[in-house]
Amino acid sequence: MTEATHTVKSYEQELERLRGMMARMGGLVERQTAQAVKAVVEGDEEAAIEAPDLDPEVDELEREAEALAIRILALRSPMAIDLREIVAALKITGDLERIGDYAASIARRALKLDMDGGISLIGLRSMGRLVQDNLRRAIDALAARDRDQAVAVWQADTAVDELYTAMFRELMTYMMEDPRNIGSCIHLLFVAKNLERIGDHTTNIAERIYYAVTGEMLPSVRPRGGLGHSSSPDAR
Amino acid sequence: MSGTAVSERAVAEKAGLDKPAISVRNLDFYYGENKALRNISMEFPTRKVTGMIGPSGCGKSTLLRVLNRMYDLYPGQRATGEVMFDGRNVIAPGMDVNRLRARVGMVFQKPTPFPMSIYDNIAFGVKLHEKLSRSEMDGRVEDVLRRVALWGEVRDRLRASATALSGGQQQRLCIARTIATRPEVVLLDEPTSALDPVSTARIEELLDELKKEFTIAIVTHNMQQAARCADQVAFFYLGELIEMDSTDRIFTAPRETRTQDYITGRFG
Repeated sequence: MTEATHTVKSYEQELERLRGMMARMGGLVERQTAQAVKAVVEGDEEAAIEAPDLDPEVDELEREAEALAIRILALRSPMAIDLREIVAALKITGDLERIGDYAASIARRALKLDMDGGISLIGLRSMGRLVQDNLRRAIDALAARDRDQAVAVWQADTAVDELYTAMFRELMTYMMEDPRNIGSCIHLLFVAKNLERIGDHTTNIAERIYYAVTGEMLPSVRPRGGLGHSSSPDAR
Repeated sequence: MSGTAVSERAVAEKAGLDKPAISVRNLDFYYGENKALRNISMEFPTRKVTGMIGPSGCGKSTLLRVLNRMYDLYPGQRATGEVMFDGRNVIAPGMDVNRLRARVGMVFQKPTPFPMSIYDNIAFGVKLHEKLSRSEMDGRVEDVLRRVALWGEVRDRLRASATALSGGQQQRLCIARTIATRPEVVLLDEPTSALDPVSTARIEELLDELKKEFTIAIVTHNMQQAARCADQVAFFYLGELIEMDSTDRIFTAPRETRTQDYITGRFG
């Protein structure tokens, strides 16, 4: 890592501003995801309202970061690590914005859930915890430009995928047992799917961090755990 | 896919393109007591553009001046080591320096047209090395002016003084003059630093054409120019070659911290 600062101080300040925007976005999106999971697994209505409320701020930050990144590209002609960082920032802010959307969508769904059917939320709770944990570590890795942490996050998403597959089967069983569960189960299935998507965007963020820091790309196919791609419930 | 790669390589080998045009080994250079180049070893691949970058005083222009022994013109300057070009050590005694400079041509920072006509600027150098008939010479002049995309602009005033041309036109004329003696290598020392962006773009476009025929070494302070024009880039610092790699690699992910600090603008 380069520790020296730019000879042109305003350039350094612009890069710092861009990093600041990403950090703020990361913090907001983490909060949105935490509130969304809380809304579903604890039935917390306030949390369900807060998560979508944060969305406009996240969207605005994404636009600001994009404008700043384009400005730096145009005026500074960044090279090497700076170029990689700015390109990564453009992509990472896009991923964060999507994560925010998924979190908002989960929270809105929580308000419609009717949980009288005795459906267990244990699976969703662990999936939510794992997704949040990975997202937090990804955002920490971003701030610290920590390539090892980025690799750890990248690898950890396999567990999220496995939990999603398990949830899918579990919810199918509930639906077959009692058709009155179908409404809730479909909502929960979307919640699980959205969490799984958050996991994917978190993996993307880890990949961008790794590239920005090292100049190398992680392999395009992540080593997958016990479940092969074909056994995934989604035809992706 | 692999078939194409194999045949391209076969063609390249046949044309001798896999061999470097110039190989530098353990080159040291002194301005009097002052050591300006330290143990430089590098190759200039045939018909590729090699960009040389680094802060002022890093030795990049000095190296360029060694490649065609331009330093010979100044007392107290000497080089040791090997600069192999066409099987001979350029810096060894006994080299025919005039012949060398026709085969390894050079273009300077400021356009340096001779105070004579456009036509004679080109014919002058050719006459020193070749005996051409009038019509052959006319053909040579037209050919090189076309190749530097200047023909259309000057065809009706070949007898006019070259000093009346614009800076960008003068520099293209100097490149035409350099390639008129049919060199194998063309050295360019910051060829566009005195030109406006349009003239600069013309010269860069020209380099892309020229590399089909010539091996090119270009010294530039303009990082974007090196990124646009060069196939490989060498970074020099305090007389040492710090890093040389493909242009992509140097500008997206250099291996050396000093290279990265320089190209990203972090040099104190």
